[in-house]
Order: sequence, then structure tokens, then C-alpha cells
Amino acid sequence: MAVVAVAVMSKQNFPLYLKTANTKAEPDLQFQYLVHTSLDVIDEKVSTISSPKVTNDPREPYLGLLYPSEEYKVYGYATNTRVKFVMVTENSSSQSKDSKIREYFKELHDAYKSVLCNPFYTPGTNIKMKSFERVVSGIFQKSKE
Amino acid sequence: RFFFFFEMARQQHSRVQQDLRKVSGELFSLTYGALVAQLVRDYESDEEINRQLDKMGYNIGIRLVEDFLARNVGLGRCYDFKSTAEVLAKNGFKTFLGVVPTIANWDQKQEEFSLVLEQNPLTDFVELPEDHPELLYSNIICGVIRGALEMVQLDVKVWFLQDSLKGDETTEIRVKFIRKLEDAVPAGED
Repeated sequence: MAVVAVAVMSKQNFPLYLKTANTKAEPDLQFQYLVHTSLDVIDEKVSTISSPKVTNDPREPYLGLLYPSEEYKVYGYATNTRVKFVMVTENSSSQSKDSKIREYFKELHDAYKSVLCNPFYTPGTNIKMKSFERVVSGIFQKSKE
Repeated sequence: RFFFFFEMARQQHSRVQQDLRKVSGELFSLTYGALVAQLVRDYESDEEINRQLDKMGYNIGIRLVEDFLARNVGLGRCYDFKSTAEVLAKNGFKTFLGVVPTIANWDQKQEEFSLVLEQNPLTDFVELPEDHPELLYSNIICGVIRGALEMVQLDVKVWFLQDSLKGDETTEIRVKFIRKLEDAVPAGED
């Protein structure tokens, strides 16, 4: 179950980062569209969770499968600071393991934390740091196996 | 039974103390990062920023050495530059930065040496921006060493030979003995 794209969106829903594994010649535009439409699903999920009835439950950042399309599955993860991570996987024959996706999101979140701690990174701008790129490439590699 | 309870309380207390120290380490790195980022915004050239960091370090060093000497009353006088290097690395760096650099590359006259740092606590999450290639992020350390040694009558020149933030393998600071300072303490930084 190969991860083919990773995206990070700011709390105002600006794209901070979008990277594709680029194994096939898929245009980036398709992934941008996928990620954008998934934002609506994320917002919906986030608003239902934070409704007054369920304030007792701890907010879990992992949002799970947002929606499946014909070729891809889109997963979401929203932090308490409204920063959202989106991962797109291929609909291959092998089963997508939920635990693996959770693991990858945790890695992404940790990498994002490191980016934030860089004094030269302005929050809300594009992420260009090498440490983050390394983690994303790592996820693309690992998910291929 | 009373002693057992007391021991538990004491262990918990020291664990809390350790955690406090760990948290303030991160805060320290973030604070230093904010300082450098602000300097980068305030000043035009990398050279000027490096100079400011060195100046700040100097002002810290001249005060820090008093605290250091007060804490380490057991240390005797250093009779040669070699022992100065040892104390600087094994006691000075250890006390304030929590790391012990390796002393290396002494020159023939025993007047110059390097401090090699495997780990630099100041640069934990830092990546240098591309438009500042000459920035010496940790230059404050050079100033601190210079200021501290000046207060014990040693005039030294301190500079960076290698910087892992710039892609070098390690971080290496060079310390060179210029002269012994006799009589009056020289005027502060202009």
C-alpha cells in the first residue's frame, strides 16, 4: 500500500507542503485537487468531534479514511492547532493497515514539530527544510515495501 | 517504614528536578534561536551578525566566569595553557552546556588548540537559511570563551574552524593564546 502523496495544510487551509512519490507521471494538479476536497471532509469531522456533547472525549488527531476514490484512498490527521496532514495511498491489492498509516502520521507530526522549532522557519509559510523532506521520502520508501 | 517513605519522596523530588532541567534545555535552545533569528532580521550582513553574537558572548563570558569559579572552588590555578584547555572543556562546557568537547590539534608551540563538539545543544532543530551562508549560528560561544579567559588574564583569539550546521562533519572551535594580561583589566568592549 504505497503512499503516493503527502500534504500539510495550515489552520487557514493554505497548503504548506505537497509532495508526491512520483513513481508514475501523475500530474501534481490531481493531487492538489484530491487534497483540497479532502479539506471539506476534515472540517466536517473536526466540527462534529468538537461539538458540545463530546467535549469529554480527548480529541484524537487521527481522522482515519476520509474518502476512497477509484484509484486512491485519502487519510487525514488534524492537530490541536488546526494544522492538517493528508496522506494519499494507492488502492493496490494489499490491504492498507490502519496502524501503519497512524505510524506515518505520527512521524509526520514529529517532523513538523522539528520544523517549527527551527528559529528560521516562519509558521504559516512553505516547508522547505531538509529534515522534513527526509522523513517524507522515508515514508514513501517504507510504504512501498 | 518512615525511612522508606522519605526515600520515595526524595527520589520523586530529584526526578522532578531532572525533568525541570530537561525542559529548560529546550527552552534555552528555542530562546537562543529566537535571538539569532531576530539578529538576522535586524542586521544586513552575516559578518555584522557574527560580530554581534561574539560581542554578546563576550559580555556573558566576563560574568559567567565568576559564577564558574565560585562553583568550582576546588580547581587550582592553571599553570599552563594545556590545563586551561582541560578546565575549559571538562568543567566549563560541562557545567553550562552539558557537553564535553574533545581537545585536539595542539600546535607545536602548545599555544593553540581545538575544541571539537560532536553535539551542539544550541543547534538542536536548526537549519540555516539559504540566504545567509556566512552566518556563524553558535558564534556566541566564541565570545563567551574569549570573555571568560580575559577575566583570568588570558588574551585569546577564538573562532570557528568547522560548523556542522554548514555541512561540515563536526563543529570545531579554535582557541589561540595571544598574550598574558598583566596589571589592570582592559577596558570593556567599545
